[in-house]
Amino acid sequence: MSTPDAVARRRFLPAQVPGGGIQLQEYALVGVVLLLILAGAVLESDDFLTSDNLLNVLRQASIVGVLAIGMTFVIATAGIDLSVGSMVAAAAIAGGQFVESGSFVFFLAALGMGILLGSVNAGAVAYGRVPPFMATLAMLLAARGIALWMSDKTPISIFELEGIRWFGNGEVLGIPSSAVVFLAITVIGWVLLNRTRYGRYVVAVGGNREAARIAGVKVRPIIFSVYVLSGICVAIAAVMLTGRLASASPLVGNLYELDAIAAVVIGGTSLAGGRATIVGTFLGVITFALIFNLLTLMGLAVEIQQITKGAIILAAVLIQRREES
Amino acid sequence: MSMKRLVLLLCALFVFGVAACGDDDDGGGEAVLTEEKGSPAQGTEGPVKIAFSTPAADHGWLKAVSDNAKQAGEDLGEEVDLTVNDSAASSAEQADQIETLLQGKPDVLVVLPFEGDALTPVAQKATDAGIPVVNVDREFSTPGAYRAWIGGDNYGIGYQAGNYFADELKCKGNVVEIQGIAGISVTELRTEGFNDAIEQRCKGGIKVVARQPADFLPDKGLTVMENILQAEDQIDGVYTHDDDMAEGVVAAIENANRQDEMFLTGAGGSNAAMDQIEEGGLYRATFLYNPVMSASAIQLANLIARGEGLTELAEPEVPSRIQVPATTVTKENVADLRDLGY
Repeated sequence: MSTPDAVARRRFLPAQVPGGGIQLQEYALVGVVLLLILAGAVLESDDFLTSDNLLNVLRQASIVGVLAIGMTFVIATAGIDLSVGSMVAAAAIAGGQFVESGSFVFFLAALGMGILLGSVNAGAVAYGRVPPFMATLAMLLAARGIALWMSDKTPISIFELEGIRWFGNGEVLGIPSSAVVFLAITVIGWVLLNRTRYGRYVVAVGGNREAARIAGVKVRPIIFSVYVLSGICVAIAAVMLTGRLASASPLVGNLYELDAIAAVVIGGTSLAGGRATIVGTFLGVITFALIFNLLTLMGLAVEIQQITKGAIILAAVLIQRREES
Repeated sequence: MSMKRLVLLLCALFVFGVAACGDDDDGGGEAVLTEEKGSPAQGTEGPVKIAFSTPAADHGWLKAVSDNAKQAGEDLGEEVDLTVNDSAASSAEQADQIETLLQGKPDVLVVLPFEGDALTPVAQKATDAGIPVVNVDREFSTPGAYRAWIGGDNYGIGYQAGNYFADELKCKGNVVEIQGIAGISVTELRTEGFNDAIEQRCKGGIKVVARQPADFLPDKGLTVMENILQAEDQIDGVYTHDDDMAEGVVAAIENANRQDEMFLTGAGGSNAAMDQIEEGGLYRATFLYNPVMSASAIQLANLIARGEGLTELAEPEVPSRIQVPATTVTKENVADLRDLGY
């Protein structure tokens, strides 16, 4: 049995080996992605392997992807955020209230709502000592209710907001803008987690809270911050989704949190906290997007997709357990 | 007497007093309602007490159901005394709410059940207690549990859509079907009707090249359609099961710039759909599954409680099944049907 001190020291190191090396989990995931691409090339070559389709996959992955990056930080502190899906709807509707005032105001309103709801989660977990599961479960219900209430259960068309629509559906040098945003957030997340003191503190808090506290890490503000971070990611995802749909709908975001959590988990981040990888999350998101794309191209029933997803999550967690012991 | 006992006695007196006073508001107090098994109060004078239970609105359609019922209550004015419960988020919750409503001894109970099967017992209970039940849309599992049913025509939506496609495409082409929630009777009937119609009319000329569910959600409609657009180079028509969900499908088609290649139909009759149909272009038609049926249900409940029938019909009593037709809404008739939009 290791002493708290040794555990803390171990946890203080970034999840990846210094220099950016990758662990077994991530190798396995790269393998899975390549396997999926191969399967797609064989089964549906005309439609799957086109640049159009692959960019499509990237674009579809970007919304849950952005949520998953934020989720990585939350899970790294041994927390969880079940409310991100509903919060996306709430943020979108909040933005929609200002549809007359232009794209920038829309964005600010969505951001404001994301940060506000994220802060409520943050306060409850960090200072209210509410277990993250309960606090964010409550927010899952509340945020959906807020979205339905503020919108009077009717979607708000944002057709005129060219800026927002570009955000969801435009292109930068041939690459979908939402994919660019996703990649940008991924890079920012990676740098934050692996190259800053903040990232190390997040992982330390998740790994061994007591040791981190004793070592001088301000535990509560760190925990507070990750939920706010999640809220910011929610706002960005909401703007992208609203842009793609050309409308702010209170019905969107259903079960996105499960997709985000699944992607984070199969990527290698430990639900118990203390170990996190942004690269893994990125690969996890791509994996699920590829599966969805391939199965829809093949015209396979949605049940097959769900079984496949479940099987992959199980396999990923089993590999993780093997690695830990 | 100790303080505690004094307080206890005062409370008891208070409760007793309230209970005694409570019986005085019978409002006009004319005909006393008899509780004969199965038969409604004949010739009731004074307002008919109607209790209406519907699931919580998480969708424009359900919200319209609730609003329409409330409007019908207002339109009937003095004739009815309507109580609406529209906050149940599950079958169990709704069953509890109905039990509570029954405590208020309504003359008629109108229910749009969260799930028909799960709420049949409580409906049966009401019927057994002499309170006639009007069942809206999702049907209970036993005919004995309700006096009358009014609902839409899911098969009819599919069938009329199939005929519409057969006409528009002249029996040749590739069609994509975007369903609602897989596995429920609504979905199965809308698919069945569509398939039957195109088979009968076109005998294989129209091919359904893709069929995927999108759970009545616009963002799901978006992603499912995006993938299907990748898979299919030539799509001539898209048949969707729901107007709200169709918004996402439309967004996917427009984002991919393929709106000239195909046309789209929805179902339900939302305002957004009617706007687009009026404009013309991608969104060509929708088929009514109109939430105004709840208003009709309130009207029926009023008639049933008074022992009256529909005056235009020869029969003396309200029919026990009324299936509302799935009217096709296209550019030609959309102006006339605008009021029914939700």
